[in-house]
Amino acid sequence: MKKAVLYINQFFGQIGGEEKADYAPEIREGKVGPGAAYSGAGLDAEITHTIICGDNYMGSNTEKAVSEILSMLADKQFDIFIAGPAFQAGRYGVACGTICKAVAEKYKVPVITSMNVENPGVEMFKQDMYILKGGNISSKMREDVAAVTKLANKILNGEEIGCADEEGYFGRGIRRQVWRKDGKPAYERMVDMLVKKLNGEPFETELPIPEPDRVPIAPALKDLSKARIAMMTTGGIVPVDNPDRIQSASATRWGRYDISDMDKLEGGVFKTIHAGFDPAAANADPNRIMPIDAMKTLLKEGVYGSLHPYFYSTVGTGTTQAEAKRMADEIIPYLQEDNVDAVIMIST
Amino acid sequence: MKLEIGNFYVKEIVFGEKLSFQNGVLSIQKDEALKFIKEDDRITEAELYIAKPGDKIRMCPVKEAIEPRIRPDGRAVFPGYTGDLAPAGEGVVHALKNCSVLVVGRHWGGFQDGVIDMSGEGQKYTYFGQLNNIVLVADTNEDFEKHEQQKKNDALRRAGHKLAEYIAQCVKELKPEETEVYELGGMIKRDPAIEKLPSVVYVMQPQSQMEAMGYNDLMYGWDTNHMVPTVMHPNEILDGALVSGSFMPVSSKWATYDFQNCPSIKALYREHGKTINFLGVIMSNLNVALEQKERSALYVAQIASSLGADGAVVAEEGYGNPDADFVGCIVALENAGVKTIGVTNECTGRDGKSQPLVTMDSKCDAIVSTGNVSEMIELPPMETVLGELEALARDGLSGGWANDELLGPSVREDGSIIMENNSMFCGDQIIGWSPKTMKEF
Repeated sequence: MKKAVLYINQFFGQIGGEEKADYAPEIREGKVGPGAAYSGAGLDAEITHTIICGDNYMGSNTEKAVSEILSMLADKQFDIFIAGPAFQAGRYGVACGTICKAVAEKYKVPVITSMNVENPGVEMFKQDMYILKGGNISSKMREDVAAVTKLANKILNGEEIGCADEEGYFGRGIRRQVWRKDGKPAYERMVDMLVKKLNGEPFETELPIPEPDRVPIAPALKDLSKARIAMMTTGGIVPVDNPDRIQSASATRWGRYDISDMDKLEGGVFKTIHAGFDPAAANADPNRIMPIDAMKTLLKEGVYGSLHPYFYSTVGTGTTQAEAKRMADEIIPYLQEDNVDAVIMIST
Repeated sequence: MKLEIGNFYVKEIVFGEKLSFQNGVLSIQKDEALKFIKEDDRITEAELYIAKPGDKIRMCPVKEAIEPRIRPDGRAVFPGYTGDLAPAGEGVVHALKNCSVLVVGRHWGGFQDGVIDMSGEGQKYTYFGQLNNIVLVADTNEDFEKHEQQKKNDALRRAGHKLAEYIAQCVKELKPEETEVYELGGMIKRDPAIEKLPSVVYVMQPQSQMEAMGYNDLMYGWDTNHMVPTVMHPNEILDGALVSGSFMPVSSKWATYDFQNCPSIKALYREHGKTINFLGVIMSNLNVALEQKERSALYVAQIASSLGADGAVVAEEGYGNPDADFVGCIVALENAGVKTIGVTNECTGRDGKSQPLVTMDSKCDAIVSTGNVSEMIELPPMETVLGELEALARDGLSGGWANDELLGPSVREDGSIIMENNSMFCGDQIIGWSPKTMKEF
């Protein structure tokens, strides 16, 4: 029989609730918690080991937790890695996504998990793995485990995996052509859709186009000479040791760095960690991307009123709109608190 | 306007003593047919083959497909192209059904040419894999474009159209097994019961992007690059007013066969008087410069509004740059209050994650998606190759490559191939046949 490893949090590992959320990862032989449900649902693999990790431990020591878990797996043979189901539990969902992604990258085995649509882990990780569309609370355990098992068995048995709608996972942003099972030609689908649209009946497009999330352009500053300005970039300029561990692509983290005592950013003190362009010019002179030098000069010349003492930085390449919005929501209070009137956003 | 298409169903094609059609058997006198083809002294080498479904035949580089037809009254089947100008769309035309003339280069291919398999896994990728085909494999003295990636293929394409007309002579005097009648009167003063139904136009965007002449689709022999959108009767499309060109990666193309049999027009005809009032066709085009694209969109929206259309279907013969014409046209129609459906293929890249159309607009809320230019296809060797398979890798066919660091060459020594759907001959069937759609994985 093929082998599976299961990842669950401290709660489903029966360690404890919130008070045990700092629980460091451990690996146990055999199945724990939901493991029995997977076997009951007919998983075509034996769960040989279960990893239990506290949600907070994973959330606040991510790199450490991931590396500890990866080393626990180094001497294990397994054909699939299953995490969750995580339901709507945000930290648990993010933990499942984080560890699945790391395991897939390191050990090249298929990974699979389940989350509710409201779980932030969905937006963060759906491009990277199969995340089954799960229930919102743990009373949906049986259904969610059955759904994961069904898809896991297809993967284990080398069967063809159908599209997201058919299999019940969140679309991974991959579009492929398929032959319709009913063979219904385009001209018939065209007429059906046309007549429905003409008659105001609901219809389903075959190419969903997302509604653009446009932000209205802010009104112009009334008096630049009095305005307080903040600087921001998606170009990945950070202190050379990257203290906030911002990722080089698909960023989920951001940092802010004090510039009140400097006239410009020095090469060797700041650099870019952006993986989407040749960093040579930016590393030689970080002001190329984050022009603190020019801003300080203009400040002295009185072109604008004052400069917010920090610049804000993340990496734009591959970063999802949802993550970008979340990071903005986290940054905005700092700007409001300091009465910033305008932001210069520097892209690369 | 009333068009009667007299159908003769071809069950088998053979080479025989004389050109004839009897009991479903189309017999072609090969030497005479070849002699006819070689009347064009640009043709240096020509041979005819028969390719029917199930045959272990792969064709490459395929340049054109035409349904053999003849008019009993002597008008040219393709007015302004194979003969003098005359109105199309009216009167009687005879057609050999389940049958097409395919034109294949003996040696040289180009960006716009493609592949057809008659059996195996590859058969389903084109409409022509299921037809009885008369295959003209030929070479020409058009040395000026021998090594050009973009070829006009003029001699070969004309040879195909002439051959289709030549072959259909054998049914000129015969009584058809069945007659399809397409009749649609003026757009106004229709039966009040029909006028109550929502009125619809079919907007076609045939390929017309080449500024140089000789590559684009022709309308009564006129280069579609030289036109602004205009109104046409659907019968004209079904009856040889349009001839396919030699530009655009081929899975997105419409062969002349596709125009002659346009299934979307036929579907709208079937709905006429039931669910819709089919007004007719707005013949638009595809352009390169933004101003040209905008001008065409503006014309289409104006014509649709002036005609009082409630709804429209827009279909593009292309992908990539033409997506801008396609989306622009739909948006212009929607802005004019015309409820619009689009029919197109997509190009999502090797990882499937690229934006499906080069430009998108949320006003395009009703799209029928017919296939993916970028789909990777790997096919085993085929017993017989008509043409020169190496062309797929060597001559810049849009879905082939000479070498790839990871995938190797498109054409392997054993005759197996790896290619993108982009070079499957008219494979995405945007004209309306496509049984394919796109799904998210």
